[in-house]
Amino acid sequence: MPATARLSSTIIGTSRASPSRSLPAFRQRCAYHSYDYAQPPPFPPAETKILSSAYAHVPEHGFTIDALKLGARDAGYLDASTNLFPRGVFDLINYHLVTQRLALKDSVQFPEAKDGKEIGVGRKVRSLTLARLRANEPVLHRWQEALAVMAQPTYIPPSLHELAALADEIWFLAGDQSVDTSWYTKRATLSTVYSATEVFMTQDTSKNFVETEQFLDNRLQDLQTVGGFMGKLGEWVNYTGHSTINVLRSKGMRI
Amino acid sequence: MQATRIRIGRQLLDARTSVGRQSVRGFAASAPRGVKEPPPPPQKDAQDGTTHFGFETVAEALKEQRVRGVFSSVASSYDSMNDFMSLGIHRLWKDHFVRNLNPGRNPLTSPSSPDAQKGWNILDIAGGTGDIAFRMLDHASHINHDAHTNVTVADINPDMLAEGKKRSLQTPYARSPRLRFVEANAEKLDMIPDNSIDLYTVAFGIRNFTHKDVALKEAYRVLKPGGVFACLEFSKVENPLFNAVYQQWSFNAIPYIGQLVAGDRASYQYLVESIARFPSQEEFSGMIRDAGFLIPGKGYENLTDGIAAIHKGVKPA
Repeated sequence: MPATARLSSTIIGTSRASPSRSLPAFRQRCAYHSYDYAQPPPFPPAETKILSSAYAHVPEHGFTIDALKLGARDAGYLDASTNLFPRGVFDLINYHLVTQRLALKDSVQFPEAKDGKEIGVGRKVRSLTLARLRANEPVLHRWQEALAVMAQPTYIPPSLHELAALADEIWFLAGDQSVDTSWYTKRATLSTVYSATEVFMTQDTSKNFVETEQFLDNRLQDLQTVGGFMGKLGEWVNYTGHSTINVLRSKGMRI
Repeated sequence: MQATRIRIGRQLLDARTSVGRQSVRGFAASAPRGVKEPPPPPQKDAQDGTTHFGFETVAEALKEQRVRGVFSSVASSYDSMNDFMSLGIHRLWKDHFVRNLNPGRNPLTSPSSPDAQKGWNILDIAGGTGDIAFRMLDHASHINHDAHTNVTVADINPDMLAEGKKRSLQTPYARSPRLRFVEANAEKLDMIPDNSIDLYTVAFGIRNFTHKDVALKEAYRVLKPGGVFACLEFSKVENPLFNAVYQQWSFNAIPYIGQLVAGDRASYQYLVESIARFPSQEEFSGMIRDAGFLIPGKGYENLTDGIAAIHKGVKPA
């Protein structure tokens, strides 16, 4: 692990050294996690200022252009300044998605391994996913609007991208180090579970979202069941295949 | 006679430049027949006081005059020519441009504080015929229910302004305080105070300016902090295949249409040459950034694969 960190820091070091233009520094997306360097803020300063003030208006005005305009005014800008956001309302939703995703690593802390027994990756994934879902709580009564905007054809690709980034963040923070095809299947399945639970949560009226928690547990349970079944099926197919070939060989077939 | 001499001279110049570039030019980059390659930009542009007028190089003092000449001669047939040249698409571009800017302050959804100013102050540069101005006012009134947003139409050319005034009589805004026409050079807007404008627009005008950087600085001066600079202008087509078709259209068809419809080939020859001369999307959004503006997203939005592009900048607060 330290070796990878050192490697990534040298990579960063060289890229920092190369002359970079002022603006794209913000647009640059780090494709890996660095332990040594703080990540650059996800949005440029002026945008951050307007979006964070606009975000405060979301519980009342929803994810709308009105919230953006009010935010711009609070930040000392004009109504017209909302032209800074080419995607309009979606940029406000994206702000919520990105900031809440990045907040995960500070909001969820796992205790150090006690008496040699560490918390399992599965448990970590569960608590991280729940923490991310709870971050939707302040805007939950407006979240269906946001989902509707995200489902517009133009915004589906960036929304899916953000979902993938979230799944990746959760697996990374849970300490997953898989380097085979399960890297993909883990992220894909977590994405589907997360989005299903998120939609369920918008309809949840139970106290402290116990039903959402139950729903999430059931989905994760399903995954384990299906995953276990697939594993066993694979084993069976493998064994039966080999046996068949061996039987045929023993009968003198040239395979 | 004069014209033929100029044309021969230009062809000689073209031949020389194309010989010089032959070694590095790839197959895809070869110019289609009948399309003139723009000559390389003059090296010392600022020092010797020349600029380009289409593909010609003229003294800076002369450009303003000649641009004025071009637009005086096309003012009366401006609209029908635009329709012929762009097959009517320029209306869609302008509608999209205005809808996207969403001018006007909706009194129903925005809580009114007593000190807050009602409506936007819009400055439409090079908007002589009022194309953009009327759309802005319509959008503010009908979409945002805003009866206070006002537009100042500025143009360097009195003939274009006269055309706009004439057309404004058919709109509800004639003789209302919401619409005002001034004759002004975009590089020197002395009648507009500092920090007074919410939205500065220039549609199909900025490529005719002698000093684009000076005009951008002036836009920065008149805009309020947080104010928006928005520019709709011809740009570079990104798909090479479509570009080949587009170049044929603009260099062969448009001057010909100009000759047929407006009886003025030279002005439309200038038009297509000035489009070819205008900087690419990235270069121009770089110029906007250099003037001090914040660039939203990548800074521009292509229309019809880049035949036109919308550039925006926001003055930092």
